[in-house]
Amino acid sequence: MFYIVTAYHAEARPVIEYFNLKKVVKNSRFQIFAGSDVVLIESGPGIVASACAASFLLSEFKAEDKDAILNIGIAGAKNADLKIGDAVLCHKIIYHDTGRAFYPDILVKHAMKEGVLETFDFPVAKEDLPENSIEGDMVDMEGAGFFEAASFFMPPHKIHCIKVVSDYLEKVPVEPAFVSRLIGDNLSLIRDFMLSLESVDSFFPRGLSREDREVIEKLAENLKLSFTMAHQLKNLALFYLSSHERLPEELFDFLNVRVNSKREGKNCFERVKKLLC
Amino acid sequence: MSALKSCFARGFSHIYVEEGVEENPLAQEILSKFPKAFKVRIKHYKDVFCRPRQNFLVQESSRKLIIAAKRGELLYPGPDVCQDFGNENFYYTSPALNCIYSCEYCYLKGMHPSANLVIFVNLEDFFKKVEDLIKQKPVYLSISYETDLLALENIAPLSAAWIEFARGKENLKMEIRTKSANYPAIRHLKPADNVILAWTLSPAEVIKKYEKNAPPLELRLRQIKKALGDGWKVRLCFDPVLYFEGWEKAYEDLIGRIFSEIPACGINDASVGAFRIPREYLKRMRKNFPPSEIIHYPYAERGGVYTYDEKLKGELLGKVRSLLKEHLPEEKIFLT
Repeated sequence: MFYIVTAYHAEARPVIEYFNLKKVVKNSRFQIFAGSDVVLIESGPGIVASACAASFLLSEFKAEDKDAILNIGIAGAKNADLKIGDAVLCHKIIYHDTGRAFYPDILVKHAMKEGVLETFDFPVAKEDLPENSIEGDMVDMEGAGFFEAASFFMPPHKIHCIKVVSDYLEKVPVEPAFVSRLIGDNLSLIRDFMLSLESVDSFFPRGLSREDREVIEKLAENLKLSFTMAHQLKNLALFYLSSHERLPEELFDFLNVRVNSKREGKNCFERVKKLLC
Repeated sequence: MSALKSCFARGFSHIYVEEGVEENPLAQEILSKFPKAFKVRIKHYKDVFCRPRQNFLVQESSRKLIIAAKRGELLYPGPDVCQDFGNENFYYTSPALNCIYSCEYCYLKGMHPSANLVIFVNLEDFFKKVEDLIKQKPVYLSISYETDLLALENIAPLSAAWIEFARGKENLKMEIRTKSANYPAIRHLKPADNVILAWTLSPAEVIKKYEKNAPPLELRLRQIKKALGDGWKVRLCFDPVLYFEGWEKAYEDLIGRIFSEIPACGINDASVGAFRIPREYLKRMRKNFPPSEIIHYPYAERGGVYTYDEKLKGELLGKVRSLLKEHLPEEKIFLT
């Protein structure tokens, strides 16, 4: 599953259309839209709002490590090295107020530019700030809050800020329709990146499947195994699976066994161990 | 696997450079070798290396490089699980963290929160610490425990710098342990009497199955032969000795092959150690890595260290020792 956080509806609209998302009725102050494998939340502007929205989304939808979360939005560029309309994957996100920096793990190939994002608590006009007071290549008002909150839930290669350059930090308002067009024009690039992120997990073998875990838990319960023994059982199952496709059929026979004492359970456990070693 | 390679960014696509080391000549030398990499400025190497919830397994497919200066403790007393080869005052140091190889059994996977490679470029600070210490007592120093230093030589010529530093220092004996075939990178140096080049050797089937990205046995043996011929002191390390189906024959073949290609009289010594790993490291590896015959093997625990049960450990060490005794005098064989 992909989770997407945008600040404004103008940023969300092209994403909603592109992924054919439908509004979800939730008892929350956030607007949420969902499809089969994408859920989007509109946070509103500011780092606190973005952090709250990211936390809410990941908790409410019970995100797992195999999922990913993106902050998609516009940003002002510090200089003309970046062009209006460029999609930039951020490899460093600085919270201007504290100087604290966050680093997404960029492990997959992508066709976007890369740069440093600096998040301010207020709208930034370059002429209002002393020279050299902006360290980032781009400026926004959400990235750092989003990233810090998402880091509580997800691994750093599954949290990314993608910013589309909308202006050069001049005191000129950016029209919503223009924002939607900038985001919309980059969605195929963003989708390719999402597909690469998704494919990473599929290459790596996983541990126990949900079914295997249920079998282990049931066995531990039936055989009255101690915490340590249950842990040993799980480890032995993984050892067995390192050289077999699935757990041995004979193990499932123990699902029907009920023991009346710990001693009896211990004896059964010894037989289970032999099966798995 | 080609699909896997095609979706990952190339290794060292990003180089994180700690504030204050940008002008360090070694840092500049390293950076010059990766002109296409994104250079990202960081305050402290741990800001990247110690981020929570990193996925070591996935990161191994696209390692990043961190260039930093090591502060605080630079030398550590040698741990009990490591062989001191009869030397007093056994220390180790870590000029780099992590390795470019991905050996399935490697304790670094449980020791570090990240698969990224850290290179410390403040060599002079390391050297100063060693100089201070050897003024007080003779020191046996291992410099390649938390990395494979020689394998990194083309990125950062640290082995060469350490060898030149050690040369002629009577109170210092130094070991550089490696699995690499990168001896040519230091071959221009004159051998140093107090430096031992130590090669870790495993049966060909172990290398193929468990030592991902590491050079095959043939290449390691070829470099050992060259190093011996050039006059270097060479140590052979059979560590870890692993248990697997057919292990006896595999170690017979390994040792037979080694001494059919290398003159035993030139070998300084050999170490033999059964697989062992601190409890906390193994716990972390079991949690983070997929089913593995090595990681998930039901080891016995003794004093916070997991290893094979006494009987099996005795068989493994006894067998390899008896094979080695056919070629080396007993006093040159060290068991752990």
